[in-house]
Amino acid sequence: MQEKELSLRGEKIILSPHKGIYWPREKALIIADVHLGKTALFRQHGIPISSQVLDGDLERLSEMIGRHQPEKLIVAGDMFHQDFNTDLQKFTDWRNTFERLQIILVQGNHDKLPMLQYRYMGIDLYKPNITIPPFQIVHKATKGKNEFLQICGHIHPGLMLQGVTRKTIKFPCFRISEKAITLPAFSAFTGLDTSKCDEECKYYVVAGDKVIMIKD
Amino acid sequence: MQINRTNGYKAVMAWMKAKGNTPFDFQKETWEKYNNGYSGMVNAPTGFGKTFSVFLAVIIAHINAGSPKAQGLQLLWITPLRSLAKDLARAMKQALAELEIPWEVAVRNGDTPVKERQAQTKKMPQVLITTPETLHLLLAQKQNDKYFSSLQCLAMDEWHELLSTKRGVMIELALSRLRAMRPMLKVWGLTATIGNIEQALEVLVPIDVSKTLVYTKEKKKTKIISIIPEEIEILPWAGHMGLKMAEHIIPVIDSSNTTLIFTNTRNQSEMWFRAILDIYPDLAGAIALHHGSIDHALRNWIEDALHSNILEAVVCTSSLDLGVDFKPVDTVVQVGSPKGVARFLQRAGRSGHSPHEVSHIFFMPTHALELVEAAALKQAERLGEIESREPMVMTFDVLIQYLVTLAVGDGLDVKKAYEEIKSTYAFREINDEEWKWIIQFITVGGEALGAYEEFKKLEWEDGLWKVKNRKTAMNHRMNMGAIVSAPMLKVKFLKGGYIGMVEEYFASKLNPGDAFTLGGSVVEFVGIKEMTVQVRKSKSKKAIAPSWMGGRVPLSSNLTRVLRDKLTEAANDNSEDEELIALKPLFDRQRFLSHIPTSEELLVEKITNKEGVHLFFYPFEGRLVHEVLGSLVAYRMSKFGPVSFSIAMNDYGFELLSDVDVEINEDIVRKVLSTENLLRDIQSSINATEMARRKFRDIATISGLIMQNNRGKYQSNKNLQSSAGIFFNIFEQYDSKSLLLRQAYDEVFYQQLEEPRLQAALERIAAGRIVIKEIHGAFTPLSFPIKVDSKRNTITSEDLESQIRKMKAIK
Repeated sequence: MQEKELSLRGEKIILSPHKGIYWPREKALIIADVHLGKTALFRQHGIPISSQVLDGDLERLSEMIGRHQPEKLIVAGDMFHQDFNTDLQKFTDWRNTFERLQIILVQGNHDKLPMLQYRYMGIDLYKPNITIPPFQIVHKATKGKNEFLQICGHIHPGLMLQGVTRKTIKFPCFRISEKAITLPAFSAFTGLDTSKCDEECKYYVVAGDKVIMIKD
Repeated sequence: MQINRTNGYKAVMAWMKAKGNTPFDFQKETWEKYNNGYSGMVNAPTGFGKTFSVFLAVIIAHINAGSPKAQGLQLLWITPLRSLAKDLARAMKQALAELEIPWEVAVRNGDTPVKERQAQTKKMPQVLITTPETLHLLLAQKQNDKYFSSLQCLAMDEWHELLSTKRGVMIELALSRLRAMRPMLKVWGLTATIGNIEQALEVLVPIDVSKTLVYTKEKKKTKIISIIPEEIEILPWAGHMGLKMAEHIIPVIDSSNTTLIFTNTRNQSEMWFRAILDIYPDLAGAIALHHGSIDHALRNWIEDALHSNILEAVVCTSSLDLGVDFKPVDTVVQVGSPKGVARFLQRAGRSGHSPHEVSHIFFMPTHALELVEAAALKQAERLGEIESREPMVMTFDVLIQYLVTLAVGDGLDVKKAYEEIKSTYAFREINDEEWKWIIQFITVGGEALGAYEEFKKLEWEDGLWKVKNRKTAMNHRMNMGAIVSAPMLKVKFLKGGYIGMVEEYFASKLNPGDAFTLGGSVVEFVGIKEMTVQVRKSKSKKAIAPSWMGGRVPLSSNLTRVLRDKLTEAANDNSEDEELIALKPLFDRQRFLSHIPTSEELLVEKITNKEGVHLFFYPFEGRLVHEVLGSLVAYRMSKFGPVSFSIAMNDYGFELLSDVDVEINEDIVRKVLSTENLLRDIQSSINATEMARRKFRDIATISGLIMQNNRGKYQSNKNLQSSAGIFFNIFEQYDSKSLLLRQAYDEVFYQQLEEPRLQAALERIAAGRIVIKEIHGAFTPLSFPIKVDSKRNTITSEDLESQIRKMKAIK
């Protein structure tokens, strides 16, 4: 596996091909758009999606935790897709095996569980953002001036690449601009938005077990 | 029993005589066979009265039975097109009235008002004209057996149109259910001429009952006229769709009453419509454009205008291939290759449709070599070389939808359903394991039981699987059918006013200010808002025509075979065809620079110029086969040494372009085209996964994984939205044994890649001679059109990362 180390605003951060960021100084793992419960919701409506999809997501998360030994996991929104269901119970069981890991959720538009349930799963809820200079973790990047570099999710960024032969492939990616780092959606069961960012951006695509920078 | 002694026959004959008609022999034969208890298939050209063969057979049987007061549905008449229903009903009603039979005839399809539908289900008419989709909707109703309790006959109109489609499989499945309810049901198909009529009957009537084929002796007369330009250009003018030939259409329009101008793609129809108007502005108002993405209301208006003889010409696509006849149409023009004999003749038949009239069709080549195709089409028409339509089999998506339909209806009896569906042609080879997978898929979610917690679709009640949830049932009913359209966006003017539809893919590539044509008018793209493309009028001269997917049909194998014969004639310089004589300068040039391949030869040209080394192969097998062959040959060549190829192809051959020299000799050619390890090498050379992913969109929609958003209606629960692409990825990773995935790959290999045709092509090449010509600098007439083709693929052995590093980000 090949991670990518970057220095932004004087801070070292590591982009993981498991679709998350590790911030060594804060000992924090940052991911976004986990959409827990989505696969079970589909099953409840008669659309067969294997719960192994969730197993795969949790396995990636466990791997990152094992590798970097973070003290906290920060989720930049949309951790939970809709309601409490078997997927969330499974997540709770998984969560209980990492007792000392602090989990911080910056609420996204999908996160609409009752307060008690966050507490039941051992999750600290923040809204609308949490600021740890020089970064500010938020679900949806805010417009206008901001002294902090935002780390956000929400749009499920992807990049469409084309070879000399016009053959195209889509990849999930990290987008990095002067104002924000947009994380790829963590869940495997999500689509990609391949529209380009408005301001100048660098793209780091997740291709298999590598993170590769793409020159625009 | 002698039919002509029966009362029914006498009554029908007397009625026909009073109207001054005499029945055709095939009609009488159908009546007789039907009255002797047969099912069957009637084959006759359009306009010869196929309808009255089967319809009157049912009426004669009714009279012969002593005209009992027949209550309930007697005859179920299925048409592939809604638009045909009204005219059919009118003709049947008139016949019944004149024969004084008090039967009701009704039409039931998506356009039928709810009130009328309710009245029908309360009291079924004796004759119901409907579509495959609506028939399935009837099966999704509770206690549907009461609708069919007196059904005598099911007639499947235009069966050739459905035979090789998933809608055809829907008919097979519905029939298996109807036969279980009515074991004595007679089933009759009506079909135009196709290459495999016996098989067509076998698919419709797969069970062991008396069945027969009824043919006509009468033949439709067709006159094919090639439009030959005064001057043949040595390098065929591919690329611009031969628009400069448009001026030759004007005299044809002028000397005809009404002309239908058929193009192969919507994109081409937009361009030709504008080109004709530019040359001949006086036609404004008297010429119209008709294709599948034009506003429904406008299309209806055009069709009405065709009937009432107000239009001089209509530029159209396959949108007008089928449907009711337009009496004023006396001439048809085909622009560019029709790709197949059957399609060409079908289009020709849109003019001069009454039995003894001659159909006139003009062939308008869009590049010089297409004139060879014109000669080939004429020969194929003479010899009756009509293509076969391969029936679809093992379409699990349609089966899943059908089983859920049963569960929405009176409940799914797994054992009974298995027996019934195994009697169909499409699923006769299904095995217990596959069946088990299908049932698990709809009842518990999938194979690994534990992995599908909380799965809920069908519920078990009284020994049957049922859909109990009203919302699930409604969703299913709204998404039934096997026609999946590409995601489309409406196009509207800013000030309001609907123009038509474009594909989402096309719209996503537009920038504000871009001009494009739709329905013949030029508009400027403003933006996309709420699933609608907003535009304003534009005066721009540089407008692009939208592209719609699925435009490129390959030449049929029948046509390519005749085409190779025509080239043999050109090679021997002994052709009497006017097209080939006109092409003499082009063939002379080809012979001078290189060689003209006969049907026993494969020509390979190696042309070296400053771009690099071009290898051209000419198997004349149609573009799909060439697409695979190109990748296969490039892959096998790249194994000899490090090299990258870019590949281009058309219906005649393919090109490999490399920036380094490539050695070529007979030995190498035979090696790279050998059938040894064929499947393995194909799998390594083409991106089958990507192709399967594209096929999966239809499969996911038909099997109910994703909901089709017809008419802009979105699924109500936003949290339940997902795309076929995501499902495909998830299944590939976690459910690799999914039959739906396997179906996607099978569709790629057998339909898209036409594996059997590829195999046959390679065997033919292996048995023949190989001719290799090396040329410096100049392109030959055969190679030029391939060279300018813009769609290119590549074969490379580089790994993903180094490929990505060379790639460029696009929007």
